[in-house]
Amino acid sequence: MKSFQKLLNFTFIFLVTAWLPNSQAVMLKHEHREMKTKQEKPASSSKCLNAAISCAKTVTSAFAPNGDLWRLWVHQDKLIAQVSKDNGYTFSKHKVLAIPAEKISARNENRPKIAFDKAGGIYLSWATPREKKYTSDVRFSYSSDYGKTFTQPITVNNDNLLAGHSFNEMLVSDNGDVSIVWLDGRLSHQLRAQGKKSKGSALYLAKANFKNRNGNRIFTNQQLANDTCVCCRIAMDYNQQGELAIFWRHIYGDNIREFALLTLEQDEVKPKQPYQVSHDHWKINGCPHQGGAISIDEENRYHMVWFNQGNVGKGIFYASSDDQGKTMTKPISIGDLSAQASHPHLNKNNDNIDIIWTEFNGAEHLLMHQKSINNGKSFSKVKLLAKAKNGADRPFIIKKDNVSYVSWQRPKQGHWIKAL
Amino acid sequence: MATSETRALDKSIMIKIISVCLVFFMMSYSHSKAQANSAESESFNPRPFSNDAFTVLKKQKLGKRWLMVLWSLDCPACFKELTLIQSIQKSAPNKPLNVVYINADDSDEVSFERRQVLADYEMNLFENFYFAEGQGDKSRYHIDPSWYGELPRSYFVDEAGKFHGKSGLLDKALINQWLLK
Repeated sequence: MKSFQKLLNFTFIFLVTAWLPNSQAVMLKHEHREMKTKQEKPASSSKCLNAAISCAKTVTSAFAPNGDLWRLWVHQDKLIAQVSKDNGYTFSKHKVLAIPAEKISARNENRPKIAFDKAGGIYLSWATPREKKYTSDVRFSYSSDYGKTFTQPITVNNDNLLAGHSFNEMLVSDNGDVSIVWLDGRLSHQLRAQGKKSKGSALYLAKANFKNRNGNRIFTNQQLANDTCVCCRIAMDYNQQGELAIFWRHIYGDNIREFALLTLEQDEVKPKQPYQVSHDHWKINGCPHQGGAISIDEENRYHMVWFNQGNVGKGIFYASSDDQGKTMTKPISIGDLSAQASHPHLNKNNDNIDIIWTEFNGAEHLLMHQKSINNGKSFSKVKLLAKAKNGADRPFIIKKDNVSYVSWQRPKQGHWIKAL
Repeated sequence: MATSETRALDKSIMIKIISVCLVFFMMSYSHSKAQANSAESESFNPRPFSNDAFTVLKKQKLGKRWLMVLWSLDCPACFKELTLIQSIQKSAPNKPLNVVYINADDSDEVSFERRQVLADYEMNLFENFYFAEGQGDKSRYHIDPSWYGELPRSYFVDEAGKFHGKSGLLDKALINQWLLK
């Protein structure tokens, strides 16, 4: 009995002392593994933690009136810029712009914008994501001394609502008149608050002038349209009268996502109804993530490209209009649909219409170019301009005098910039 | 030995036997719980998509209907679909839906946001993948070269492993019929 008791005592003490630390270790191991999976960063991210342009997913490029080429990207909530004095052959050391850090949307259809006036002014706008999903504000900052100093950023949308305000585009006239358009969620926010259903975003325009002493430095906000697609970039250009023409993906009827065009005529009290420009019948309750492009020439002809996947029209299309979109030429199909031709951009320079887009062959992205020298009556053979191995940003054509340059960011490979 | 002493001894032995049993029980319980938890965190944490993983997945799923849903953080309509599937699962709580999710945001910067969505929409009940950094277009092309990236993108995969792709937010009745029939 006594030896049984001793054995029992021994077993009891042994088990308790063995279990306690083991259970703690098991819990710690479990917690550690969970923490590990939460905090673990894949090895590839450590390769691109610096501010070099090759680490950027998106790049914005633009020529200043003095001929300088600026390129802009985001790193760790700061705007970084480089300047080239030789049209992109060589660039200055990158500079972190003197603007306080804040989150900046810089992926896919969203990226910061830069523009210039003729007096050395630099204008920046971007979308700052906010606390709740799909909420953001359009932000703006101005430099009167060619980028040495910048004003404290201000919010362009004036609704004070925690709602979506993003996909901003900006144009600045030589005189410093700033026009910013964006996709605005204030109306759908209000509808939802009333328990009603909302469809799409609203298209808003803000105007201000920071260059002139008597300029209005508080952005006006004007609604231009309602029921736009919520996730595609907007395109904008001035026509020969200096009026703004805006081109975006709209929602018509039961989720038919076609392109719309609106010109804001001077002396107009209320914007007209936009014209529906594409008729490809793309019915989708979802996100195409593909905007279009517009370029207006000296004869006030509007040239446009877009992408659709409708049952009437699939792929990239080019068309033009002499009457602000009321009537359009028959859309011409551009690019190889089977090679995923997407994200077109264009520019009209004298008689040249240059169209660029990307294709994908399963392994690499290809930058493609097609040109018309007779106002779109016919197009040249398609040319391959460049390739990207690690994914690709959207390509853009930027103008300097009468030359079109293509800007194409290739993450982890390099920013491609060349004249067409 | 006196009787009261014997009774006291019996009581002490009983207590010790019960304690030993209790300790054994707690050891095996905490061990199996840890195993279950680690199994859960290993199978259902989002895994990077790869061509090999996709081949394995398709093979594993043969013989049953399943739904593959691709979504993105930048796609409001995608979240409506995640909510839809979440509510369908709630209506059939004892039968895990045969759903696989793939996040199409091929950026390491969003891994925290991605995990938050998985938690918020109870997606950890299912297998989850994500497109690895910079591999989005390659992965998309591998899945379906005729898909241009519009989202949400859902694939109804039949028992023979044939993929039928649909773009945009799906009708609840369609998902119900495919997954619960």
